[in-house]
Amino acid sequence: MSSTIALEYYKIRRKNIGLMLILFLLVEMTWAFMAISMSIARNPDHAAWEAVLFNISYMNGLFMPIVSAIVVSRICDMEHKGATWKMLAATNVSRTQLYAAKYVCANSLLLIGILAQTALMIGFGWLQKFPGMPFGQFMQFVAGTAAVTLAVAALQQWVSMSVKNQAFALCLGMIGGFFGLTAGLFPASARHLLIWSYYLDLSPTIYVYSEPVGAYAAQPFAFGKMTAVLMMAALSYIAGNIHVNRKEI
Amino acid sequence: MMRSISAEWLKMRRSKMTLILAALPVVSVLIGSANYYLNQEALQNDWLSLWTQVSLFYGEFFLPILIAICCAYACRLEHMNQNWKMIMAAPISAAHLYLAKLLITGMMILFAQAMFLGLYWLAGTLLFLPSPFPVKTAGWVMRGWAASLSIIALQLELSLRFRSFAVPIGINLCAVFIGLGMYINKLGLFFPFSLLTIGMSVLSQDKLAAMENLLFWLMSIAFVVIFASISICRLKNNDIVQA
Repeated sequence: MSSTIALEYYKIRRKNIGLMLILFLLVEMTWAFMAISMSIARNPDHAAWEAVLFNISYMNGLFMPIVSAIVVSRICDMEHKGATWKMLAATNVSRTQLYAAKYVCANSLLLIGILAQTALMIGFGWLQKFPGMPFGQFMQFVAGTAAVTLAVAALQQWVSMSVKNQAFALCLGMIGGFFGLTAGLFPASARHLLIWSYYLDLSPTIYVYSEPVGAYAAQPFAFGKMTAVLMMAALSYIAGNIHVNRKEI
Repeated sequence: MMRSISAEWLKMRRSKMTLILAALPVVSVLIGSANYYLNQEALQNDWLSLWTQVSLFYGEFFLPILIAICCAYACRLEHMNQNWKMIMAAPISAAHLYLAKLLITGMMILFAQAMFLGLYWLAGTLLFLPSPFPVKTAGWVMRGWAASLSIIALQLELSLRFRSFAVPIGINLCAVFIGLGMYINKLGLFFPFSLLTIGMSVLSQDKLAAMENLLFWLMSIAFVVIFASISICRLKNNDIVQA
């Protein structure tokens, strides 16, 4: 298995996927930090870690589904373009292992992106001299974002591997980004059915709208929601694996 | 030229792109209308309030991404199986090849825009909005399409340049935020992505001044001409390098 994963990294060594991912996330972070700085200028009470954690979680709802779609699509599309899926299937490695290797490869890259995001958030907070350092909330942010990304990537890999035309996979990423961005508008019962809305649901902070001004508040870690996300990830992965393995190449 | 267009059309015929083109307007109008329905006390401007709800995310964030997907798809076939070399050796000019792609992608986005307008009308009718349908929204949709052409010209250049299907879409996502920043800083007329925000009256439904309107159309045409010229020159002068 480890050699299959190593081969996946070898295949993408000149594709600069990691660099591309970091650049995309940098744009997201720049935008978010500008928005937070403006918010602090208007209301000094917003100069807190909660503001950073909430805003990045909210923007991840838009960015992460599309970025996941791009990363997974690049890793899967090379097999379609080079017609190498047939060749790989003819080797003495099971298709399940190949599928798993691609999943591990894509998610490891996305995890690096999430960790880089967290490092930038901490750097921004220190520059702004926010009081204290909520390690627990940052751990919750990383765990929540990574778990949702696992599920989103599993869904994307299923589509990217089974449909040759990558426009469909990217369209799913776009629609996912739409749901992620507008998640706050849905009633909870509908929202919990959509995996992309959990970026906000598993955020360590929430924004409470109240007159005359809203305020950020801590959101306790929700084991139930986390379990639901991990189950969705497992279901998407297993269903995708079975479907792709049984499909004739 | 007509043969290039029909060849591009042939490539799109069985691609099921209609499903992708329809998905975004349907989701946008459904979510926007549901939000309007749930907040009718705060949104008292009938059709215009409904427009703000359905067009905000569609025009600001997701239509540019849909354009990027369509442009990447229009160039996908050429990037496969050494097809660039084959198509460049065919007796058609680089300009015709590029313009055919621009036109076909433009038609696809026109279809999405028409569908968006139709669904907007349907949503307003089903919500029993008392005032008559505002015809000016059709003008906004058409103006949005004109701005879309400048984004298409830019995205086609990126999709011709990058072999990867996904990279131009990622760049597009970043450009959306740059466009939003330029719009906020009153520089919207100088960037194709913020031109779309202005064209579709997404963030402000105020009528454009005569000078602004003129500048909008001039800039849209200028962007199309500039990006098309760059792409055509590159197709003519650069070697095709394929793995």
